[in-house]
Amino acid sequence: MQELLSVKYSFLIPLLPLLAAMISGFLGAKWLKGRSHWPIWLGVGASAALSIKLLIDMLALSHSGAEAGEHAAGLSIVWNYFTWISAGDFKAQAGFFFDSLTATMLCVVCGIGFLITIFSAGYMKGEAGYFRFFAYLGLFIFAMTCLVMGENLIMLYLGWEGVGLCSYLLIGYYYDKPSAREAAKKAFLVNRVGDFGFAIGIMLAYWAFGTVSYFGQGVGTGTGLLEMAAQSNLSATQQLAMQWIPFCLMIGAFGKSAQFPLYVWLPDAMEGPTPVSALIHAATMVTAGVYLIARCGVLFVTNQPAMVTVTVVGAFTALLAASIALRQFDLKKVFAYSTVSQLGFMFVGVGTLASVPAVFHLITHAFFKALLFLGSGVVMHAMLGELDMRKFSGLKRKLPLTRVLMLIGCLALSGFPLLAGFFSKDEIVASAWIHSKFLGLVMLFTAFLTAYYTFRLYFRVFEGPEVLPPAPETDHGHGPADAQGHADAAHGQSDHAGDHAHHNHEPALMMVPLIVLAVGALLAGYLNFPKENLGEFLGRSPSLQLAYEGAAHHYGDTGIAMAMGQVEIAEDWAKNNATAAEEEHSLHLTMMIVSGFIAVAGIFLAYQVHLKDRARAERLAASAPILVAVLENKYWIDEIYHNGIVEPLRDVGQAFFAIDQYLIDGVVWLLGFVPQVGGFTLKKTVQRGYLQGYAAAMLFGVAAILIVVLL
Amino acid sequence: MLELQHYLAVGAIMFGIGLIGFMTRRNLIVMFLCTELMFQGVAINMVAFGHFWGNLAGQAFVIFILVIAAAEASLALGLVVLLFRQKGTLDADAWRELKG
Repeated sequence: MQELLSVKYSFLIPLLPLLAAMISGFLGAKWLKGRSHWPIWLGVGASAALSIKLLIDMLALSHSGAEAGEHAAGLSIVWNYFTWISAGDFKAQAGFFFDSLTATMLCVVCGIGFLITIFSAGYMKGEAGYFRFFAYLGLFIFAMTCLVMGENLIMLYLGWEGVGLCSYLLIGYYYDKPSAREAAKKAFLVNRVGDFGFAIGIMLAYWAFGTVSYFGQGVGTGTGLLEMAAQSNLSATQQLAMQWIPFCLMIGAFGKSAQFPLYVWLPDAMEGPTPVSALIHAATMVTAGVYLIARCGVLFVTNQPAMVTVTVVGAFTALLAASIALRQFDLKKVFAYSTVSQLGFMFVGVGTLASVPAVFHLITHAFFKALLFLGSGVVMHAMLGELDMRKFSGLKRKLPLTRVLMLIGCLALSGFPLLAGFFSKDEIVASAWIHSKFLGLVMLFTAFLTAYYTFRLYFRVFEGPEVLPPAPETDHGHGPADAQGHADAAHGQSDHAGDHAHHNHEPALMMVPLIVLAVGALLAGYLNFPKENLGEFLGRSPSLQLAYEGAAHHYGDTGIAMAMGQVEIAEDWAKNNATAAEEEHSLHLTMMIVSGFIAVAGIFLAYQVHLKDRARAERLAASAPILVAVLENKYWIDEIYHNGIVEPLRDVGQAFFAIDQYLIDGVVWLLGFVPQVGGFTLKKTVQRGYLQGYAAAMLFGVAAILIVVLL
Repeated sequence: MLELQHYLAVGAIMFGIGLIGFMTRRNLIVMFLCTELMFQGVAINMVAFGHFWGNLAGQAFVIFILVIAAAEASLALGLVVLLFRQKGTLDADAWRELKG
């Protein structure tokens, strides 16, 4: 593994985007201007190529290893560059850890990142602060690759905070718009709650195990946190810590991956430019929580309360967000709630000991959700910033190619048979069903809602009579351009005017990435079907192996081997338990048929009320005004947070401010005032200008000192 | 035979006279002379102790004191002359306004 060129040069994967970001950021404003995308294209493109090479090399090694019958310890490597932090006993290396999970995540991050940077060049053309956007994108790819490649929790934390920063900067990209500023602050602050829990988790892990590295010197050496945690002879402190570490890490994951109760920032994050919503708030950053739990699975699996919490929160969030998406009218808001809901599915996956389906869903979701967001970006572009689906309809003639691509994306999201989302969602639902029938039903119902709201959007936007919104005044509907890039903006506006004159709403620069993503949305499902190829590859990750061993030992059940990617063990198990395996096989088959039927039912319902007879939707809504009000107001959760948390905190803050202002500042002022009064008194009484007086004072002073010293 | 105590007594008496003079007189020159008197009282002490311990350091130190006192005397008398030119009087109380 060391001798692989792609591993040797892997340090370039985060470094090149960082370099590109620096070039764009520092030179963009003055020299690069409208060409600021070039460094990022090159940097992220090279990273994507390296990631794919790494994946191919590891796949080849995995196959040859499987033929030689080796079990996968050889398929991971720790690559330390230098000691990054050294304080007493605490050490954190600047190093990378490579296994199949890392390689897969890297391909998703860099590959989709590259496609989105290409799309962005078309989408953001002429925006004020063009270079700023691309510099942030490069910085984001740097942080995200650090997050997935990091060798220890501190590197993960570095990436974690880095992506949080980029998310903040990009949500607030249109910083002259108050709503964007508020959304950026909200995202940052809500994430702070999660990151606080995460930091406590890392500290606990260090306290209990004395290291923050996943695998220390390497897999099998027993020097890393994960292997130490898998041992059976834990000390009392370690056992105590193991009870709480998963909960702390979970809070971090819930914050970053927008799960209840910390999901409120993600829908607001749609204030950022659409490519950002696609890349950061749908495909990559928000999946970091799923990655964290998959990577540290061994810390979670033996802790049943933690697993139940992850599952229940995931399922609840999936249902809650899907129901809110039913009554949203903003295209991007629908997809934002859909993302929250799909992330809930992934958490149900990791929570029910099905890490492979969770990561599988992460990959397919990255494809189709990026496709859907970029597609709504094209719609937004063509509609000059209008995103309210009540204001336009029947765009299939205006945007023919986008309509086809969006249809693919919508089918994939709704779980239509044989498309990407179908296979991955189905595996999660099946895994949920095995653990609890009720949970399975909830997930199936959520899948039904997903199909319905997705096609409600599709039928309203692309089908039916053609309705176009009246041309708005401002370009893109974004606020006025900032002074810095005013010239660029003016230039851009004239370009857009040219676009409209030629009716070319689908420039190649934006369509090519969409087509690639659509191919992914069509075919990504076959990564893990009919053969468990992805599962087998991911199962070679030492993280998943450890988690499987821990779970199998703890629950005494080897039936979960397939969902944890341990294909060989699963095959052995199937041989020995023919009936159970047969049952599970038929369950999966039934689940596929049922979930396929449910997706079609959802689409059919949407067809009935949103295409065939649109008035019916309104009649239906009118018949249940309370439900509609609840959904349209998103269960008043934002209001509850505002009145229940934000306002009381503001009051507390004001109380502290008053204490500071009057008590603390008062004491400080008094400390200064007393000597001032003393000095003033002395001046009036003693310092009268008589030399003799001064001499007498000196005499008595010296006498007093002598008396004190000598007696 | 003169003992150490006799020298010390002379030194102390000179210091005391100087001090009392400084405290009671208003004339700048007289006050200045009184400080010189105190100075010499201390110098006598040093010479006496130097002699008593059979150590020349005290005497050598007094030579330095005398040199510095001479320099300081010329400076101080110059200042007094300047002050006199300003106010036409040698009374120290004329300069009370300097207290600020």
